[in-house]
Amino acid sequence: MRNHTVIALIGMGLMLGLTGIAAAAGIKANDTGLSKTSVFDVPTPIVYHYKADQAGSSKLLPRAYLGAPPQIPHDITDFLPITRDSNMCVSCHDQKEQWGQKRATGTPTPIPASHYTDLRNAPSKVTDQLIGARYNCNQCHVPQTDAPALVINMFK
Amino acid sequence: MTTSRRDFLKQSAVVSTAAVVVGVSVNEDAEAITQNVEAGWRWDRGVCRFCGVGCGIQIATKKGKIVATKADVDAPVNRGLNCIKGYFNGKIPYGQDRLTQPLLRIKNGQFDKQGDFVAVSWERAFDEMEKQFKRHYQSLGPTGVGFFASGQHTVQEGYAAVKLFKAGFRSNNLDPNARHCMASAVAGFMQTFGIDEPAGNYDDIEHTDTMVLWGANMAEMHPVLWTRITDRRMSQPNVKVVNLTTVSNMSSNIADMEIIFKPQTDLAIMNYLAREIVTRDAVNWDFVNKHCAFAAGVTDIGYGMRGSDKFDYAAEKDTNAKELSMQLGSAEAIAQGKLAGATVAQKNRDTAGKHWLITFEDFKKGVEPYTLDFVAELAKGDADESLDAFKAKLKALADLYIEKSRKVVSFWTMGFNQHQRGTWVNEQAYMVHLLLGKQAMPGNGAFSLTGQPSACGTAREVGTFSHRLPADMVVDNADHRALAEKIWKLPANTLNPKIGSHFTKILRDLEDGQVKWAWVQVCNPFQDTANANHWIKAARELDNFIIVSDVYPDISTKVADLILPSAIIFEKWGAYGNAERRTQLWREQVPPPGQARSDIWQIMEFSKRFKLKEVWGEQKIPNLKETGYPDGKLPDVLTGSSYSPDATLYEVLFATADNRKFKWPDAIAKTHQNHTATLLGDHWFPEKALFEEYAQFGRGHAHDLADFDMYFRDDVRGLKWPVVNGKETHWRFNEAYDPYVKAGSGFSFYGKAFKSLPSGNLEGVTNPEKTNIADKAKIFFRPYAAPVEQPDEHYDMWLSTGRVLEHWHSGTMTRRVRELHWAVPAALIYMHPDDAKSRNLKREDVAWIESRRGKVKAIVETTGRNRPPKGTIFVPWFDEGVFINKVTLDATCPISKQTDFKKCAVKIYKA
Repeated sequence: MRNHTVIALIGMGLMLGLTGIAAAAGIKANDTGLSKTSVFDVPTPIVYHYKADQAGSSKLLPRAYLGAPPQIPHDITDFLPITRDSNMCVSCHDQKEQWGQKRATGTPTPIPASHYTDLRNAPSKVTDQLIGARYNCNQCHVPQTDAPALVINMFK
Repeated sequence: MTTSRRDFLKQSAVVSTAAVVVGVSVNEDAEAITQNVEAGWRWDRGVCRFCGVGCGIQIATKKGKIVATKADVDAPVNRGLNCIKGYFNGKIPYGQDRLTQPLLRIKNGQFDKQGDFVAVSWERAFDEMEKQFKRHYQSLGPTGVGFFASGQHTVQEGYAAVKLFKAGFRSNNLDPNARHCMASAVAGFMQTFGIDEPAGNYDDIEHTDTMVLWGANMAEMHPVLWTRITDRRMSQPNVKVVNLTTVSNMSSNIADMEIIFKPQTDLAIMNYLAREIVTRDAVNWDFVNKHCAFAAGVTDIGYGMRGSDKFDYAAEKDTNAKELSMQLGSAEAIAQGKLAGATVAQKNRDTAGKHWLITFEDFKKGVEPYTLDFVAELAKGDADESLDAFKAKLKALADLYIEKSRKVVSFWTMGFNQHQRGTWVNEQAYMVHLLLGKQAMPGNGAFSLTGQPSACGTAREVGTFSHRLPADMVVDNADHRALAEKIWKLPANTLNPKIGSHFTKILRDLEDGQVKWAWVQVCNPFQDTANANHWIKAARELDNFIIVSDVYPDISTKVADLILPSAIIFEKWGAYGNAERRTQLWREQVPPPGQARSDIWQIMEFSKRFKLKEVWGEQKIPNLKETGYPDGKLPDVLTGSSYSPDATLYEVLFATADNRKFKWPDAIAKTHQNHTATLLGDHWFPEKALFEEYAQFGRGHAHDLADFDMYFRDDVRGLKWPVVNGKETHWRFNEAYDPYVKAGSGFSFYGKAFKSLPSGNLEGVTNPEKTNIADKAKIFFRPYAAPVEQPDEHYDMWLSTGRVLEHWHSGTMTRRVRELHWAVPAALIYMHPDDAKSRNLKREDVAWIESRRGKVKAIVETTGRNRPPKGTIFVPWFDEGVFINKVTLDATCPISKQTDFKKCAVKIYKA
């Protein structure tokens, strides 16, 4: 939570709502958009890094909204790629027996029952097996970098 | 974060994604918490804003704001799943720098191209827009104005834009950004089947045994279809997945076989497959004799570049000179049965689509040079792979296609479409499937996927291309114009018969001064078009007026003269059509912020400023020659018509007596608003009226849409057209599924375009007498052709560009969602570690990427999701800070005019 507030505040400092300044003087095109520069300029990109916290020592990240897929709070460099033969995410997070249990700090978040339910073919049955449609974890769950926010998002 | 909070999150994941809807038993406490949080939420269904898959979503709103979205478990496309972008639909409207007021460049109280942006009223914005329009329209005529439309326009917006431009202003200079993504697919469909869009549907995935990806990194670009493919592959060991690509990518991780080929040699691999089918006597003659005809076409067609060096930078001249005349390389010469080193004048640049019927014997002669040895040598794309290993893969690929009982689906997207011979390579996919008789049946077929959410529904079906009218009709066909004029109640010869400028050509026209007024909606042409340095300079430095309707500031608003704040998807009523012909409609969920307004309102408000006498008098159209029209002119169609010269385009095109019969409010809205109808204030329902008017074009013509209200039924999640007697069509051209196929015929490729043709051989027409091949599809022979620009000693690497999973297109929406931005903050240079090393570069270094056209800087990445072979780099285009389209080449497929963003030559060096 704290991280997110700090970054939001930094973002607030950088950003000026377009409408706010419109009333006073003109807005320069170069002050707008995601790269505050002239379209003729070539900005120098910044290097960013994914969170270096190791699995088991990271804190859960805030959920974007009720039902949003949780982001990955730990380093996954060594766990990728997910291939047909190897899925390192599943080897830790496949914890059906943990459903409904209180979990100790440092234990992996169990993959929820919805992921063991074949919504296409048998939507009312929780199975023992992770459904193939859920196999590519990083199609929905993504790691996060230390990049500065470009624009504040007002979604609540 | 407390334990109880964590437990709640964990349980709510179950609750929200599965349990509530499907009745999985859950902890009662969690259910109670969910119900508490959801108190006062209104749920309604919508469709994802992003790609062409067209996932169904459910949207929760409270007090005029979106508070959550979830994947719709009842949507057959995605059954309760979204990708990471899809889950953030609810956040995209809420970036803090949302455009909420019109902004005009003003200096000393006047519009001035060098002025800064000042907030103005809509009235003032439209005043300037009108003044500038009339100034340029009066001096240049209908070809002096342009409209950049979009595959993200709703059906109704696209329809309104077409009608305003083509019927109102009599200008065909309207073209969508879908030109950059789907035009080659369209041309391939039209030339092969005589009608646009796929035969199959996504259920092919569950029906097939084999999925072959040709230039389609579905794991990132069609993620939810990829979940279906993965599920199928993981649960059925007999199912095989093959990934053909020029860069090793995420789709290879699930594939059984990855084939890395050199750029553009897909043309040769396809012909190898055809040759194998023929040599192994695997042609399905029963199918081919009944339903197919063989064809060939001209090959000296250029590369879709200007053909003039007037605007070239010095460095560009050598590549661009090949547009008029080029020397055949050795492989190309063998592939085309010609002499290596021969100079070939590109005589058919303006008639690139010309084709004729040939015999099977000639077809066989055409594919004869494409032996395994020849093709493997030409196509092997990874220097570290042995020739024998590559040959074994090609042979295994042929085995999979040819195995008689094996069902095969071929998928492709931008790898084929963004291609200097994009139309050809699309046609070659059909060639393989038609030869085998594996087309238009469950689990069997060549399946062109689409990139944008309504590239099919709007750009293609409505016809926002410069040559098109609704329902596959075209402006250069007198019968089609007459039908459109009848439905639109226009005087005869109102419509302009001369094809307008395509997307890239409108930008070239700005540089030439041929177009001086252009309106952009729902796209970002100044970032998304190749060779961008030319176009941003033309926009900023020449006497023209650029209007950009958008939700956020981006590259295009930065070069604009006037910015109009638009409503985003969930702030308006609309319809999208996805890649399996599924049309999906939605209601306005929340009001747009501030002064933002729907694009359709903007179009209609602007139309109120034109009287018929200003547009329907005689108009000059340079070089127009058409039966029934004076040379170089559109006739005066107002004199003698029943219309008053003082009637406005709004009254004549939009608020017609017929359309006003669709009243607002309407019961279908339930509790939902319609800011467009409310602001117009004349009590009609524009989105419903225009949808029904548009549907008249397709009903009875194999493009039938259901009525507007049916799409809102509780048991409907979009419908695949043609919808006949309330029933959707799952597989087209197949008697078992398609009501347009005559009983007893089995299959019928009933499209009507390009079905009456002369005959000839591989060299050209020998018998001009036309043969009609009604109800048949064409099996084209298309040869290998080399890319116009290839790495050399100065620019020594291939550059390929594309999207990433986490961002949509130019990132204007997704980069304002912090979870997505933090996941992928910037575009990287994906390159082979050895290539980095030999350039004294390492991971995380900043490097220049430079071509003949421009240069940008980006960070080097030598690991990660894309692993290019030596000699190739891949750079995503979503990041305006790494403005990669300053570097790319604006060569196009000469038939489809779609730009090849996948190959040009660059050099990389340390910054």
